[in-house]
Amino acid sequence: MIETVLARLSRRAQAGDVLFRRVEQTGVSFEAGRLKAAGASEETGVNLRVVRDGRIGVAGTTALAPENLDTLVARALASAELGEPLALDFPPPLPLPDVPTHAPGAEAAPLDRLVGIGRELVERLAREGCQVNVSVGRSVGETAVGNTAGAAAAYHFTGVSVGAEVTRIGGDDVLMVYDSWSGTDLPTAADLDALWSSVAARLDLALRVVEPPEGALPVVFTPAGLAAILLPLEQALSGKAVLQGISPLARRVGEAVFDRRFSLADDPLVPGRPDSRPVDDEGVPSRRVTLVEAGVVRGFVYDLETAARAGTRSTGHGHRGVFGKPGVGYTNLIVGEEAAGQREPGQAPRLGGGLLEGMDEGLVVDDLIGVGQGNVIGGAFSQPVGLAYRVQRGEITGRVKDAAVSGNVYELLRRIGGFGTDGRWQGSRWAPSLLLEGVSVARR
Amino acid sequence: MKDRLADAVKRARSDYAEIRVEHTWSSSVVFRGRRLEAATASEDQGGFVRVLSRGYGWGIASFTSLDQLPAMLRRADELSRAVPLDEPIRLADVAPTQADAVLDLGGDVRGVSLAEKKRLLEAYNGEMLSVSERVVDTQASYHDEVTEYWYANSEGTLIYQLRPEVVVSGTATARRDGVIEKGLESVGLRSGWQRVQDLGGRFRGAAERAVALLDAPRVRGGTYPVILDPELAGVFIHEAFGHLSEADFVYENPQAREMMTLGRRFGRPILNVGDHGAAPGLRGTLPFDDEGVPTQDTPLIREGILVGRLHSRETAARLGERPTGNARALSFRHPPLVRMTNTYIGNGEGSFDDLIRDIPLGVYACGAFGGQTLLENFSFTAAYGRMIRDGRLAELVKDVVLAGNLFQTLDRIDRIAGDFRWNQMGGGCGKGGQFPLPVTEGAPHVRIEEALIGGDVPA
Repeated sequence: MIETVLARLSRRAQAGDVLFRRVEQTGVSFEAGRLKAAGASEETGVNLRVVRDGRIGVAGTTALAPENLDTLVARALASAELGEPLALDFPPPLPLPDVPTHAPGAEAAPLDRLVGIGRELVERLAREGCQVNVSVGRSVGETAVGNTAGAAAAYHFTGVSVGAEVTRIGGDDVLMVYDSWSGTDLPTAADLDALWSSVAARLDLALRVVEPPEGALPVVFTPAGLAAILLPLEQALSGKAVLQGISPLARRVGEAVFDRRFSLADDPLVPGRPDSRPVDDEGVPSRRVTLVEAGVVRGFVYDLETAARAGTRSTGHGHRGVFGKPGVGYTNLIVGEEAAGQREPGQAPRLGGGLLEGMDEGLVVDDLIGVGQGNVIGGAFSQPVGLAYRVQRGEITGRVKDAAVSGNVYELLRRIGGFGTDGRWQGSRWAPSLLLEGVSVARR
Repeated sequence: MKDRLADAVKRARSDYAEIRVEHTWSSSVVFRGRRLEAATASEDQGGFVRVLSRGYGWGIASFTSLDQLPAMLRRADELSRAVPLDEPIRLADVAPTQADAVLDLGGDVRGVSLAEKKRLLEAYNGEMLSVSERVVDTQASYHDEVTEYWYANSEGTLIYQLRPEVVVSGTATARRDGVIEKGLESVGLRSGWQRVQDLGGRFRGAAERAVALLDAPRVRGGTYPVILDPELAGVFIHEAFGHLSEADFVYENPQAREMMTLGRRFGRPILNVGDHGAAPGLRGTLPFDDEGVPTQDTPLIREGILVGRLHSRETAARLGERPTGNARALSFRHPPLVRMTNTYIGNGEGSFDDLIRDIPLGVYACGAFGGQTLLENFSFTAAYGRMIRDGRLAELVKDVVLAGNLFQTLDRIDRIAGDFRWNQMGGGCGKGGQFPLPVTEGAPHVRIEEALIGGDVPA
């Protein structure tokens, strides 16, 4: 497919690159404890970028009949007529790192296997007065990229995801606890066990509602609750924000901005993760990129175009769909050293990651409402809690409602009170719980 | 195409079968600062099949290769039969419909060159950049679509639609030293090229607001009488109340049903709320939903009392109520879910001045940067605010975040003005991984006698 499209470019454009993607998804969903639906989808599409007269154009389509490919090329050329001039060099053929992205067991798993995984979770999570929804999905596909500089790469992938949500309504109090697991292969018994115990533990501790504390307090942000803390950094460490002049970290490379124990890296080569890949969507070989090392800012992530405009090289972080132009994005974001927050094998993770001992009065934050609203990149946040627990004398005493936490992540991450022993994957991010001191907690 | 679909559903092995096919032409232009990011045109096509047989659950298939229709129906049937159910899924009765609905395209965007679309957006982007040296960054985007849509089910419903969409949005970022502020403008319409001309003044206004906010103080946190402008009031009723009225939230959950019992008092007698999927000329309007059910005006709260909810055929059958035409899917890639269309707070009486006259100290919260609800709790960030002092509008303030509990807040709405308007913005609603679904919100000015405003809280 890629060669067919590139062949149609000859003489009409100086250069170009193509992404081809085919994905088949299969999934089952349980609603209120019952298996309710089974679904399948398949999608194939092509994204084409061309360079004509030094200008860039992009077009995409899911209409892949041969007679439609000329239309695709014509649309990309029309796009280039309006495009900004840019000296964009497509990568030549380069050796690719070896990273497993495809699990034959996941591809071969029959529907019954997915149903069985869901049913086990539903049965284990069932309890009086609670609605349990579970979904299990599996995707199998292929990504191929190629360009007129001769690069051509393709890989097959699989991905499995399991989501579990328990809703409990008592009067006008609504409690919702959600967690999910994902990987390239089917979950092991231990994976499902961890997912079950994570949901069950957070539910049990939430049944009792207590008054929120108030003041500048120590707060443990769980791997899920860290979203609000890490979002400003994710935005500030994108080469795009640096290029636009809106990143507070732009001129601080080499500077100790964070706690000495704080590190952040993006690693597309982690085995078993659905976002891992040997090559990015623009044909650049994948590699691990250190963003923050021992508190010191080390670099940013770039795609081809942002790198060309910024006068640097792509770090292999081009992300691209069938429609629209490629953009900068992360793959697997890793907070701290992966080994550092690891718990003892076989030991169930405890909410709070072992950071509650000695905490006289504080909070564990697992979910905040409205993360991403407002002026995120500046680092200031102020959010009501979605799911949070009060800590008194080293123990969780219950769930708090009607409270809000606020602070500035650049100030809070300067001194980290502790790293939890509950490091885990939360979607495409690996992190342990973090204890941050002096977070402002207000109640209403 | 219609004959192909009608034939395919007739021959399906399942007791019930439906097919949607869509073919969409779209184009997008994006500016960032003075630089064009991209100007692209795309073509997307595909189909969706959903089947049901007695004793089994839903079987669903979606695909981008249209020559596989019969194979996809067989696949969906196999999937359905992998889901045995002791309690059958029933669909509420709907009269079969045959209809051709060619919507007013408002100037077919397919006849306008990409270069013209770029020029239009460049002009709006230029309006924002020219406001002040302090406007350091902008984002401006134009997106249009025309979709040919076919729907057929095995009960004899057969629908064709030709429908447009156009969205123009801009964000201006103003900066002075370390202070960064934003101004937003967005217009989203189920229409076309003619309706997005002459918007320069609105984009200029967004940049002027961003610059003005640089000098505005943060609102002092605390409890105030708060007046929501029609835009924020609309976003509030959609987010904080509308999602709870979607019947898929309650139909399998006895405790949720209890919380949302019809007849429960939610507000004072002045409060009326509804969802109107058939309101002429709005972005959330279509003649039929994605189950072929005609859209309608559905009252949700009447004189303060909960009187209705939004349904798909499945949730309506389950609760013994009537379908409302609210089963909507983002595209052929997705199954229909219970969704809002054009959600509104009904008109009240009197003017804005009547609402503020007797307020010694209060906050006028305008526009919405965003809002999120976690069921009964919500948080909304207003684009900007004005203090109300001694019954009159006073200084501009920023960082106006409204947080609260739905039940308490609805009950504290004590005045509703008679200046209703619909707010047709871009973006849209997200649910179950389907975003952005085109919706509209409408409201007059609404007064909450007491609400918590975040911001600097005095120590």
